[in-house]
Amino acid sequence: MGFLTVLKKMKQKEKEMRILMLGLDNAGKTTILKRFNGEPIDTISPTLGFNIKTLEHRGFTLNLWDVGGQKSLRSYWRNYFECTDGLIWVVDSADKRRLEDCKAELHTLLQEERLAGATLLVFANKQDLPGACTPEELREILGLDQIKTHHWQIARCSAVTGENLLKGMDWLIDDIAARIFTLD
Amino acid sequence: MQVMEGSVDKISLIAQRDYDRKLGLQKQKETKESQSADTEKLAYFNETFSNKRQQIENFLTQSSDLDKAALPQHFDTISKEILLLQKYVANSNIFLRSYDIKKCHESLQELTNKLKQLEENLLPKKKFGFKNKQNVKPVETKKEKDEVDFHKVAIVAKECGFANKTGETLTMKNEIFKKDITVEKLENCTVKLFGSPSTLHLNQLKNCRVFTGPVSTSIFAENCTNCTLVIACQQLRLHSSSDVDIYLHVTSRAIMEDCHDIFLAPYNWDYDNLESDFKNSGLDRNTNNWKCVDDFNWLNVERQSPNWSLLDEGKLVKNWDNS
Repeated sequence: MGFLTVLKKMKQKEKEMRILMLGLDNAGKTTILKRFNGEPIDTISPTLGFNIKTLEHRGFTLNLWDVGGQKSLRSYWRNYFECTDGLIWVVDSADKRRLEDCKAELHTLLQEERLAGATLLVFANKQDLPGACTPEELREILGLDQIKTHHWQIARCSAVTGENLLKGMDWLIDDIAARIFTLD
Repeated sequence: MQVMEGSVDKISLIAQRDYDRKLGLQKQKETKESQSADTEKLAYFNETFSNKRQQIENFLTQSSDLDKAALPQHFDTISKEILLLQKYVANSNIFLRSYDIKKCHESLQELTNKLKQLEENLLPKKKFGFKNKQNVKPVETKKEKDEVDFHKVAIVAKECGFANKTGETLTMKNEIFKKDITVEKLENCTVKLFGSPSTLHLNQLKNCRVFTGPVSTSIFAENCTNCTLVIACQQLRLHSSSDVDIYLHVTSRAIMEDCHDIFLAPYNWDYDNLESDFKNSGLDRNTNNWKCVDDFNWLNVERQSPNWSLLDEGKLVKNWDNS
């Protein structure tokens, strides 16, 4: 009893997670956010700045941050790193030309101190497109097996059809919960 | 004898009372602790934090005396300790003032930097990619977490589109429905896409003209110079392009980045099945925001971006039939 118990109780009561969603432009970050929140996705504009949504899911409060992926906005990504529990990296699986670019940005991001310890979920988005790379291909192309600093997982999904979005998110939440809500 | 017995009783009574009193005190202390004020938690935190920090500092100073073979293990332990401390701070975020958090992060940063410095000095790195990686291992590596979602799917990875042509007229018809089309590395070409693809990528086009039916999601165009695009889509993203005339139908928004000399006009291509293609694509024929362009290099709301403007009435092509 005492300090730790009190702390644990407080944390458990809140069950709050901060999840940061990043990726190259046109990857479908905002579409995933809106789909997850049940909003219409046909009016989405390219993100100039960022969107925040707070969702209740499985008893957790998720603060989802969706930051624009344009080249000119990437230097601002670091302003959002603080206190991040989970990182969602969204990939346009059909955009083969920029996969190298995507790999470089991801690995730069993972070197960041303030993201150390955050769980990484890679969403292989746009699987509804016929030319999309499979998650296995992406895993190789993006060099995911080299990641030893973070818990990670790649999941196929389609923000347009909603396929597999929840499953991926559930994995992320479980992994974070196992880490931050057990203090003993 | 009686006196003795009585005194024994008294002694045990006193002992019992003393025990009760201590128990009561203990209980009081516990209740007090559980309702402890912020300052006490802070004090506790500060103490734990500085102790831990001191411990890590000690580890760090030790490392110069250690044998080289033992160093990797040693550094590993230190980085683990730092990670643990980081976690402790993160867990205590809830009652810390932002000043305290900042302070803690600063000292953590300092420790990490020191560790890095020492490591670089004492253990020069082998020339190999992904530096700084192995020293930040997670505290506990759970093997099963690294497993990848292995849903096998039968997707035929077939590129659909045109590439590497010069001076040709390239046409695609209904086969593009719901496909992702890539058109790249063309010079002096005319591309006509009759129908409704899902997405369209345009890359490295020079002196080209591109006509498309309604694209149901986004068009991503990059490195286009001296082109004319007659396009309809939900989103347009234009990058690193110049001298492009765009006859545009966009239902949400168009953006540009690192572009200049872009001229806009409303979409005016016409072919037999255009209306039904619009219906199939899900694009609203009546919503066209062709004049709304966000320039990511021009975040000034009061003045219009100098990188784009509307196409002069005189230069407007009204009919593409003979082109």
